[in-house]
Amino acid sequence: MTTADRSPGVPPATLVLAAQRAGRKLTTTAKRAVHFLLRHEDSAWVWAARTAAVVPLVALVLLITVLAWKAWPAIEVNGLGFLTHSKWDTGNLYGAVTKTHGVSHPAGASYGAWPLIAGTLESSGIALVIALPVSIGAAFAMTERMPRAVSRVIGFFVELLAGVPSVIIGLWGALTLGPLLARDVYPIIARHAPQVPVLRYLRGPTGVGEGLLTSSVVLALMIVPIIAATTRDLLKQVPDLPKEGARALGMTDWEVARRVTLPWVKTGVVGATVLGLGRALGETMAVAMVTGVVLGSTARNVYGTMTTIAATIVSQLDASFTDATGFAVRTLAEAALVLAVITLLVNVGARLLVRRSAGTALPVGRGI
Amino acid sequence: MDLDKIEAPHAGASLASLVDGDVPRPRNVLRSKDLSLRFASKTILTGIDLPIRRGSITALIGPTGSGKTTFLRTLNRMNDKVPGFAHTGDVLIDGESLWARHADLLDLRRRVGMVFQRPNPFPMSIRDNVVAGVKAHRIARRGQLDLIAERRLQEVGLWDAVKDRLGDSPFRLSGGQQQLLCLARALAVGPDILLLDEPTSSLDPMSTEAIEHLLSTLAPALTLVVVTHNLAQARRISHETVLFFDGTLVEHGPTADLFANPGDPRTQRYVSGRIG
Ligand SMILES: Nc1ncnc2c1ncn2[C@@H]1O[C@H](COP(=O)(O)OP(=O)(O)OP(=O)(O)O)[C@@H](O)[C@H]1O
Ligand SMILES: [Mg+2]
Repeated sequence: MTTADRSPGVPPATLVLAAQRAGRKLTTTAKRAVHFLLRHEDSAWVWAARTAAVVPLVALVLLITVLAWKAWPAIEVNGLGFLTHSKWDTGNLYGAVTKTHGVSHPAGASYGAWPLIAGTLESSGIALVIALPVSIGAAFAMTERMPRAVSRVIGFFVELLAGVPSVIIGLWGALTLGPLLARDVYPIIARHAPQVPVLRYLRGPTGVGEGLLTSSVVLALMIVPIIAATTRDLLKQVPDLPKEGARALGMTDWEVARRVTLPWVKTGVVGATVLGLGRALGETMAVAMVTGVVLGSTARNVYGTMTTIAATIVSQLDASFTDATGFAVRTLAEAALVLAVITLLVNVGARLLVRRSAGTALPVGRGI
Repeated sequence: MDLDKIEAPHAGASLASLVDGDVPRPRNVLRSKDLSLRFASKTILTGIDLPIRRGSITALIGPTGSGKTTFLRTLNRMNDKVPGFAHTGDVLIDGESLWARHADLLDLRRRVGMVFQRPNPFPMSIRDNVVAGVKAHRIARRGQLDLIAERRLQEVGLWDAVKDRLGDSPFRLSGGQQQLLCLARALAVGPDILLLDEPTSSLDPMSTEAIEHLLSTLAPALTLVVVTHNLAQARRISHETVLFFDGTLVEHGPTADLFANPGDPRTQRYVSGRIG
């Protein structure tokens, strides 16, 4: 077969025949395998399922363990201050090497990841605040408002958007969206935002569009498709009967949506939101491109420059390898560990929240 | 159960007591006038003329597909959004067209409640289910909601069963209890008329009896229109019975009369169980 492939003089018919023969052989093997599987259907299926179920667990434990192991010396030296300090100083990479707790690192090295942590939480939080209503609104529009053909086309584009690589969205955010927002939108928001807690961070200098809010908008754009597509699929599953009941009771469409349809799928929407949030927390390229990674300080207002853990890791990795003691890389591993823990906490937290708030009202058990 | 011993409460005995103060209201709270209805090119109802007396219980019977549900749903305009819905003729409520220009759809549905064939609780606690409509219509202040929930649950006889788990999911109740809950929910907004589409068809005999008993206590304060396939049920609870056949109204009369001396041969055959 292989020799036949290589020799140029072989007539095509021989090739075809050989291919057919090989194909037949393959089919027989496949048939036998299927036959075997069918005969041992149950146990094969059970084992396949068990193995598959364990894979994520093993992967997660391995990931965290390896990260922690890599980061351990940095954790010892940086201490708890890593979570609260703002200074990010690699020390003199070409100067003297000192030792703390037996770990060698460049003299003067001092790492505080607070701005990274704050930036990660802020950008993802704001992104969620923007994305959630948009996604749910879009999902409702697609399932209840639009003619089916329109809805299918829009749905197709939503799914397309989910597949756009983040580097493209990041580039667009940095080159087009950021400057546009900074010129035409931010000044208006800044002027009209009230001087009250939380919202006062919308006031102040608006910058050039390379900051927290632009990152959040870009992140929102990336998680809207995730939440919208999932919510749409969930809404399609809601039975008509309770919705009819609500309408027959004299509720407006808005009330039906808010009091009956959305609560019906609440668990699923929270699940989708956590997926989206996970993506936002870990998003690297788009944020790195939009904000330009400013280490050492948190954003002053929503327009301020900032960075996130993920963006910092990708932008600092190259430089970190020049630290001959390896301490800078270990510190990045520590930052990665923090990000992993944040993501895990968010996941677990969301699940607890759902269990507590939905325990009474979920359509489980009888009657469905 | 001996059906003949349970006599339907006699309708129309004290119409005077149903007239509110000195403002006389029409004797018929609902009146369908030559109502024809179609969904797209499919004609579902033709020329339905039916007065529904205030405070009475009217049973709609007829073979499957004869248009009972469609007629019932028209009475609180649940059909309006069905694709291709079109109607001629009219339905009057207290003398006013359901589709009058100034008619308020949401208020119509508050006045004309509906209970469905299968229980359909909302995904919220039992207590919130009862007051969901009250909240939507802003009928009561927040502080009164607990009391309203309690009253309505007592009214439908569900209070003792659920008083310790008002915050629980309604989906863990039995089917019959869920249906009672839906009744309590419909009653909580203070309707004048209640439309019930085979309200007991998915329930066991005990739950059915509980619901029937409740329904017979609701009139004459309320006007009830009940679709049922259960002829015995129609005889037990209704004052008037209407037979639908193939989208037309075949016969309408006091329940006892209609069952004893059916005027139309189709009624005769239907009530004796030979068709449908
Ligand atoms: N949304 C709809 N679109 C088109 N046709 C409909 C629709 N709803 C009902 N129909 C048709 O209207 C006719 C009457 O249906 P309807 O549900 O009113 O009958 P019914 O008397 O309630 O029957 P059943 O006793 O089985 O509940 C049927 O032929 C049905 O197919
Ligand atoms: Mg029906």
